[in-house]
Amino acid sequence: MSIAADTLMVPAAPVRGPAFYFNGVTSKRHDVIVETAANSLRIIDDDQQYVVDEWNYADLRSRSAPEGILRLGRRGEAALARLEIRDAALAAAIEVRAPALDRGGAADRRLRQRVVVLSLAAIASLVLTAIFGMPVLANKITPLIPLPMERKFGEAIDKQVRPLLDTGNRGAAFQCGTAPGEAQGRKSLDKLVRQLETAATVPYRARVEVVRRKQANAFALPGGHVYVFEGLLAKSETPDELAGVIAHEMGHVVHRDGTRAVLQSAGLSFLFGMMLGDFVGGGAVVIAAKTVLSSSYSRHAEAAADRYSVELMQKVEADPKALAAILSRIASDKDEGVALLRDHPETKERIAAINKVTVDDPPKPLLTGAEWKALKAICGSSPGDGKGDNQLKSSNQPKPSGQPKP
Amino acid sequence: MSDAVTLDPPPLPGSLPPLLPGNPPPLPGLVRFVGPEWAYWQLRIKGAALLLVTLGIYRFWLMTDVRRFLWSNTEIAGETLEYDGLATELLLGFLFAIAILIPIYVAIALASLELDLPDYSSALGGLGLFVVFGEFARYRARRYRLTRTVFRGLRFHQDGSGWLYALYAILWWILIIASLGLAYPWAQANLQRYMMRHTSYGKLPGRFEGSGWRLFLRGMPLWLASVGPLLVAAGFVAARIDWHAFDLANPEDAKDGAFAVIGADLVGKLGTKTLVGIGIGGIAGSVLVAVLVYPVFQAIVYRWWLSGLRFGDIAVTSRLRIGQVYLIYLRYIGLVWLFMIGASIGIGVLASAIFALLSAVHIAGSQIPGRDVIGAGIGVLFYAAFALGISVMHQVLITFGLWRAAAQSAEISDAPILDTVEAKAGLSSALGEGLVDALGFGSV
Repeated sequence: MSIAADTLMVPAAPVRGPAFYFNGVTSKRHDVIVETAANSLRIIDDDQQYVVDEWNYADLRSRSAPEGILRLGRRGEAALARLEIRDAALAAAIEVRAPALDRGGAADRRLRQRVVVLSLAAIASLVLTAIFGMPVLANKITPLIPLPMERKFGEAIDKQVRPLLDTGNRGAAFQCGTAPGEAQGRKSLDKLVRQLETAATVPYRARVEVVRRKQANAFALPGGHVYVFEGLLAKSETPDELAGVIAHEMGHVVHRDGTRAVLQSAGLSFLFGMMLGDFVGGGAVVIAAKTVLSSSYSRHAEAAADRYSVELMQKVEADPKALAAILSRIASDKDEGVALLRDHPETKERIAAINKVTVDDPPKPLLTGAEWKALKAICGSSPGDGKGDNQLKSSNQPKPSGQPKP
Repeated sequence: MSDAVTLDPPPLPGSLPPLLPGNPPPLPGLVRFVGPEWAYWQLRIKGAALLLVTLGIYRFWLMTDVRRFLWSNTEIAGETLEYDGLATELLLGFLFAIAILIPIYVAIALASLELDLPDYSSALGGLGLFVVFGEFARYRARRYRLTRTVFRGLRFHQDGSGWLYALYAILWWILIIASLGLAYPWAQANLQRYMMRHTSYGKLPGRFEGSGWRLFLRGMPLWLASVGPLLVAAGFVAARIDWHAFDLANPEDAKDGAFAVIGADLVGKLGTKTLVGIGIGGIAGSVLVAVLVYPVFQAIVYRWWLSGLRFGDIAVTSRLRIGQVYLIYLRYIGLVWLFMIGASIGIGVLASAIFALLSAVHIAGSQIPGRDVIGAGIGVLFYAAFALGISVMHQVLITFGLWRAAAQSAEISDAPILDTVEAKAGLSSALGEGLVDALGFGSV
């Protein structure tokens, strides 16, 4: 609004009316008369003896007040002098003369719109950072973490994971291969792992264990712990299938995927958890966003681990396609209510990618028939029949930063 | 400021309109809430929608709007309060708090990893820090709110130490837990005394005169009623304990220990199922009574607290009735119930429409990538909207309802003193508010 227009709009006749005045020095309420002079609001003492104060229209600001009261203060003033006008005609007359007053809160609303727009921009930027920046950052930082620290860290996670997984069923130890009758199985497992390890370049010894859990799953922790569930062993039909899964997990260990996942998850918590979601129901939104993002990160990790498995299996002259065989067997398990998983494009893609490899020589057996039989019985006489929830990748069990999936 | 400057009488042209009816006469000592509930509904619903859209960033602005509304509609002796805090102050306080808390969290995590401490030690350490910072933040947040409260042209103030307050609060909490809640009245009286001793309106000092004994006597029947079912259950079992079942001379008994023997005897007599039943019954009974008498408790505490507030010679009294608080809760329960029915139907209809649409597209042959993700995303949004809806109802019907009822119930003595208070300088930062927010237990 131009000054000329301003002047034009000001009605000639001054308006006056009663008001309350607080001078900001004491709490005394003064009954005053307020008059709209040419350039300022004139505050006149009740008995009209003297002018108490004159406030320029340009300095007037409205302050929060209940309906029907115009509460005025002055811009940038340390003391809190206030004028309270309950007379609607007088309030309207002041509003006309003081355009910066903003009683209806239009400027405030504009500010809020900016807040909303900028928030949306910030969220978009955070999401883009999470999708594109975070994997790059985690890739850069992961190799900088010293191996002993990673190992220590893996131990700490292991301490938390074990009790979660150990259901203590059948009174047997959580870990298979410890009872006297299971020693042969343990020996076979060691032989299998040793062959893979010799061919691989694992930064430290992979500690592969078969544990008593019914799901067909396996996962690796940072620092070389590899857990193969009893249910997965039961589903394996050949030593090569089991070896393929273990090689895949060793791939995670070599690629340090566990550590990277922890870094990424911490980064996501930082990006999303601190600033956002602090409202009722917001936690769910943030958790959902984090889940989607971490599963997109792990997709790459899975593909890389599959490639590692294929290469390693070729090095030991075993069947690299066995991993695809067991993956598709678990995925097509009709017993389970996993229809959603069965036609999951991810698993299909993984199987297709593995099957692309060309096998020239017939595979060399990793274990003898007897050794394989002993390994199948590593969890005692009644190995799990594979019943139970099948857990493929993208189902988040077990949670703690591991790489769940065969 | 020039109220002392005397000028010539201003020109008063005769053509001026006659003076409009004068200011309303001051209301002696009455406290009222003058804002309409619908305006608060509007504020909260709009706020919830913006919270959802901005993933919570809007909360600083919403909180400021809410306080402006509540403050400016609370009228004491004819004058309403004014909240002059800014949302950007809250945002800065929050960022500052984050800057302090992040290194602390990282240090705790690293320390527990480096020193090979047991898992629970870092959790306990975190919890301890959380509680200490939390109480500190509560105190500092109160200070921020008070210094942003303007009444009759003067601010409220608070000094005193947030750390000292946190120490007192934690010691009292330990006592409250150790005494099964019986220490609560004295804890409240003591903490309120500390806070009010360091509170002033302008230069008019505040204090708190509520007595712990008084609250204790009023609250005792509630405590007995809540703990009663548990005590009855325990008494019933205790009466059947055979204290002579343990025989030290018996080598079997001596090996198992007195506790195990007497326990086994009791289980043998009553049966495991009966014992568990009595235990669950006692706990359920206590919880049920506690829930039912909670509004009574709240009414008693509010009235006691308001009636204990003093500023100089000004005393506050409250006549908050228990029935009022019950009505507030009943209205909330009824409306939440209606909302849940409505929301379930609405969500059901919307969800089936969306899934029909998705499968139509699916049948048409074009497989949407990430169909599950879209479905889950929609589900999460529904959930968040639903939770926000319940939260809005809670804010309006309970928090606002209690604020209004408490304000309406109050009255102040010696209102003319309000004309004589002098100003005192000083503001405070929003760090406390930021900590409260960052630690996740903010409220009005």
